[in-house]
Amino acid sequence: MLTWRAAALLGLGALTLPLWPSPWPAVALLTAAVLALSALDWALAAPLHAVSVHRDGDRTVRLGAAATVTLHVRNGSTRRLRGVLRDAWVPSAGAAPPYAHELHVAPGATERVVTALTPTRRGDRPAVRLSLRSAGPLGLAFRQRAGRPAAPAWTLRVLPRFESRRLLPEKTARLRVLDGALVTRGRGQGTEFDTLREYVVGDDVRSIDWRASARRRDVLVRTWRPERDRRVLCVLDTGRTSAVRIGDEPRLDAAMDAALLLAALASRAGDRVDLLAVDTAVRAAVSGAGRQVLLTRLVNALAPLQPTLVETDFELVVGEVLRRERKRALVVLFTALEPGALGEGLLPVLPRLAARHRVVVAAVHDPVLTRLTATAPARAEDAYAAAAAWRALAERDRVRAALTRHGVEVVDAPADRFASDVTDAYLRLKTLGRL
Amino acid sequence: MTSPTRRRWHRAAIPLGLVLLLFAVTGVTYALEHPDPREPGFLSPVNADSDGGSRLAQALTARGVDVRRERHTPDALQTAAEAPSTLLVPAPTLVHPDYLTMLSRLPATSRVVLVDPPARVLDRGGVPLEPTGRRWAARPVGPETAGQPCPLPEAAAAGVAAALRQRYAVRSGASPTVGRCYDSGLIGLRWSLTELVVIGASDPFRNDRLDEHGNTTLATGLLGTRSRVVWLDLDGPEPPPDTPQQPVTEPEAPAPPEGGDEEPYPDERGGSGGPGGPADRPDEGSASQADNPLRDAFPSWFWALLAMLGFALLIIALWRARRLAPPVAEPLPVTVRSAETVLGRGRLYRRARARGPAADILRGAALARVLPLLDLPADSPPEHVATAVAVQTGQPPEAVRELLYGATPDDDAALLRLARDLAALPHAVSAPRATRGTPPTPYDATEQGGDR
Repeated sequence: MLTWRAAALLGLGALTLPLWPSPWPAVALLTAAVLALSALDWALAAPLHAVSVHRDGDRTVRLGAAATVTLHVRNGSTRRLRGVLRDAWVPSAGAAPPYAHELHVAPGATERVVTALTPTRRGDRPAVRLSLRSAGPLGLAFRQRAGRPAAPAWTLRVLPRFESRRLLPEKTARLRVLDGALVTRGRGQGTEFDTLREYVVGDDVRSIDWRASARRRDVLVRTWRPERDRRVLCVLDTGRTSAVRIGDEPRLDAAMDAALLLAALASRAGDRVDLLAVDTAVRAAVSGAGRQVLLTRLVNALAPLQPTLVETDFELVVGEVLRRERKRALVVLFTALEPGALGEGLLPVLPRLAARHRVVVAAVHDPVLTRLTATAPARAEDAYAAAAAWRALAERDRVRAALTRHGVEVVDAPADRFASDVTDAYLRLKTLGRL
Repeated sequence: MTSPTRRRWHRAAIPLGLVLLLFAVTGVTYALEHPDPREPGFLSPVNADSDGGSRLAQALTARGVDVRRERHTPDALQTAAEAPSTLLVPAPTLVHPDYLTMLSRLPATSRVVLVDPPARVLDRGGVPLEPTGRRWAARPVGPETAGQPCPLPEAAAAGVAAALRQRYAVRSGASPTVGRCYDSGLIGLRWSLTELVVIGASDPFRNDRLDEHGNTTLATGLLGTRSRVVWLDLDGPEPPPDTPQQPVTEPEAPAPPEGGDEEPYPDERGGSGGPGGPADRPDEGSASQADNPLRDAFPSWFWALLAMLGFALLIIALWRARRLAPPVAEPLPVTVRSAETVLGRGRLYRRARARGPAADILRGAALARVLPLLDLPADSPPEHVATAVAVQTGQPPEAVRELLYGATPDDDAALLRLARDLAALPHAVSAPRATRGTPPTPYDATEQGGDR
């Protein structure tokens, strides 16, 4: 293939035409000369089949952070490789400019081409193709062929942002208050007996263990500790209601954020955390992960999840939960309080679930509804929209009441407080010993 | 949402569209109504239509002038040469160029009147004039030109006439003895032997315009100076003079097969002219193939340079067309805007003018917020609620009752008012006036369910 240089050479030759005795043979001669020179240049370009490429670099990156992936281009031929290389990624991988990299590789040498990536979306971001244009020494012609050299496969996994990490220290501190040797420990059912210790002034006299005191010559009190080794199952609804944008990210992302915070906290509290993402099929499942690898496994399972435009099959959700969790567990269902989806899907099968497990339904509140109902309407269409919003709120309240009748706790919070409110609900249940 | 922009768009587009429509209608009407000199019967002495000249011919006959109608230029020349006469050529474009020079060879006692001759006719006929400005329609003006009186006595006698449409000027380096009239819309000059009068407007001769201004006087004056008027009435483009006599004896079929009325006489130098061109002149055709004037205008190296630059451009185009890699596609995530169904339902309410249901919902929502503040049960009778709210807010009870349980609003403005009042009501109830003296309600404060 010829370049602009060949065209420029031809144009320069054209300018000498007035000096030639007969112009038309001169045209043929000059054109033939330029073409011959270009053919020679093409033949002297480094062959593409002798170039080999491999990659290394980041495999995972958190959304919002930057990653680098390096290409090692080895010139296996005996000619110098000059040219441009394009490392094409999907647009959402956010590959930084330049569009193509200039290459100068001596025979037998290896050149590094670094691509900086700032992904704009969660999930798997693959490198798609590699194209190399090898120019001749004069730059008159180049070689280029699709699929040569073969692009080494590489996929960058973009993990969820997990912004609610910043809340973790505070929640852990509250957990420790719960866990410490304070009198605030409840005596309610389900709390576990921990140890006996000597009575100190200020202890609740109802905690005195008379039988043990009779065996010893001292007054002993029982101490309790919060339940441990309970099971927490986060169920993410990835159906159509999870695609709704709250602010500028889908509802599913807010649910992931809250699920990650809950999992981090629960694993610190000594509970076992499992995860399930379902719409019409099980999209992701994590179970039996040890405490050390739990978060890693969770973010890896959550990263490629995307909302799908299907109605969630709650029959399947309940069946999967009952199959996976034989013992009593806390099931946190991240979904939306929508009468269509929950009223017809979840409510008929909820009794089976609520009979065996403790269920919390967590939904991100839509700020648009709040805005529509809280501000006085300025135009007629606002009044109609406010009426529609009040109606939606009333329907949501009906769903909520129906869920509450089944003994389900409902967390309905705006996106910025959502993760915090979900973990608060967990902590409250733990305090009450009702896990 | 889009209505302001749409209205703004309309505001700009409607007047502009009206103006454009006016222009279009005017242009089409003008094109349809304005007479075409190439049409058969244009300014013919036997045509009584609006674009004919029958009334002028009658006026001339009434003045005692002998009007002779001729269908072919050779006949007209012959008739005009017999006696002192005026030769009127209403459509000079139809006269074959070879006859134009013959017109100038009429006797000195003759006068030739050319109506609206284009530059091509003037050029080929050797008339030292050229058209300058052309008006959209003929305009009635006085016979003076730039303050100078008109040298033609018959034109000066006519006064104001619709003679100004095409202006003419003397070609640079030509004879100065011309008489200008009607702001250069009418020129009288000596054309080799004969006297030539060039007028740029056909209006003074036409049936429909003859009565306006001094048109009759001008037309009869211009044509009535000699005792005979030879009226050259051509139906279409004339055949060349050196063709056999056959078209002359068969005057009904002189028109070229196709494209003839667009260009009556194709340029003879263009060897590859139109299909109706002079195919009966093979000697000229072969000569024109040999020397292409465009090719001769530049040296041969220029054409070679052009070809080579074209080749270079082709290479550049190929180089640009070879892309480094095709664009990368990826599936986009589904995007559902927040509160999409709610906003859509609001728009549906509005389109259906569902003011009743909307007002019911708003009232129900306001009641559900106000009743717990007043410790009233959900099924309180309207009178109790209205009284309690009125006591709390200081508004008259009838107004509160109308607000909470009143009639359906009649229009959008009433609904908007209602919505604003209802939105303000819970604030007014929870932040009452200083004189707080609510009577204790006899009802138990029961749980407000989520049903509302």
